[in-house]
Amino acid sequence: MKKVLLEALLVVAVGAVVAFAANALSPRGLKLTEDYFHGEMLPVPRARTNRTEFVAATNSALDPVVTRLKEKGLQVINGDKAVELFHNPLYQQGAIIFLDARNDEHYQSGHVPGAYQFDNYHPENYMGTVFPLCQSAQKIVVYCNGGNCEDSQFAALTLRDAQVPNEKLFVYTGGITEWTNRGYAVEVGERNSGKTHK
Amino acid sequence: MDPSAKKKRLDTAAVFARWFLGGIFIYMGLMKALDPVAFLKLVREYEMVGSSVLLNSIASVLPWFEVFCGVLLLTGVAVRGSALVLLGMLIPFTFIVLKRALAIASAEGILFCAVKFNCGCGTGDVLICQKLVENTGLMLLALLPLVGLGKKWTLRFSLWPTETREPIALS
Repeated sequence: MKKVLLEALLVVAVGAVVAFAANALSPRGLKLTEDYFHGEMLPVPRARTNRTEFVAATNSALDPVVTRLKEKGLQVINGDKAVELFHNPLYQQGAIIFLDARNDEHYQSGHVPGAYQFDNYHPENYMGTVFPLCQSAQKIVVYCNGGNCEDSQFAALTLRDAQVPNEKLFVYTGGITEWTNRGYAVEVGERNSGKTHK
Repeated sequence: MDPSAKKKRLDTAAVFARWFLGGIFIYMGLMKALDPVAFLKLVREYEMVGSSVLLNSIASVLPWFEVFCGVLLLTGVAVRGSALVLLGMLIPFTFIVLKRALAIASAEGILFCAVKFNCGCGTGDVLICQKLVENTGLMLLALLPLVGLGKKWTLRFSLWPTETREPIALS
């Protein structure tokens, strides 16, 4: 039995070294020292409402996501305001920008037309493009899936940490789910691909 | 049945169990390793870790560690040690998943077996009762190599040479 225990310890030791090395070499690997959640170690409680109730509840004072965003000093907008900003002529001029805080797979499957991708978990891939745009923009709308999704919050906080003024940042809590539920088109594939669907 | 034939059959079954267990861990590990961010978010939902470095370490290392143990079992290297490590992971994981499912059932006021969630096990959303049965099965499979069965088709069953007792010469 002693030999088996020693063997197990050796497996743990070698396995840990291999696992750390694999993570370091993987292009999708995590950075061990990065605080991806901006100190928010506890997630928003699991949603108990169905989708229709969720959309109605979005932006209400009872929504835990909205409460948390406001506690962080972030500005929140609802679907009506997001649509208004989207149709504002300043959007076409780049003075208003939309940022999609989801991963590549979700972004490619459908985003707000003209929105830039800003995946908070790989900011190094996007900051070069997004940061200059944020500096010149007057209003920046950040969104993710909506509901319990916190990626838009973390993306907004990452931008704020990078010295993007807080007064420019708006989190659209309804996210892409509410956007599509309202019947607005999404753009598929790359930004300005021209391929849209409802 | 001839006891030696019975033992042979049991040993062959243990080899298949070892391969199955190894394959399952490679698959589940890779599913997590290929999307570490998703796994990181799921680990966070367990609310067990208060440090971001520790959370990141768990989410980045655990999937690859599972793949490593799976490869050892599949190829037959350090089999008993690997089986013990897998058992040592499966038991606490099962309790943690059980605890979370109980919390969800209580919070949502639903029957325990109706709880369906992504436990971060690498197989997406699962019904908790199904998950518990699966994990129990995996633990039983891990016991087979741990007790020394399934030595056939292994590269190096034990890292240390097995002791062979010399017959005692009687004078």
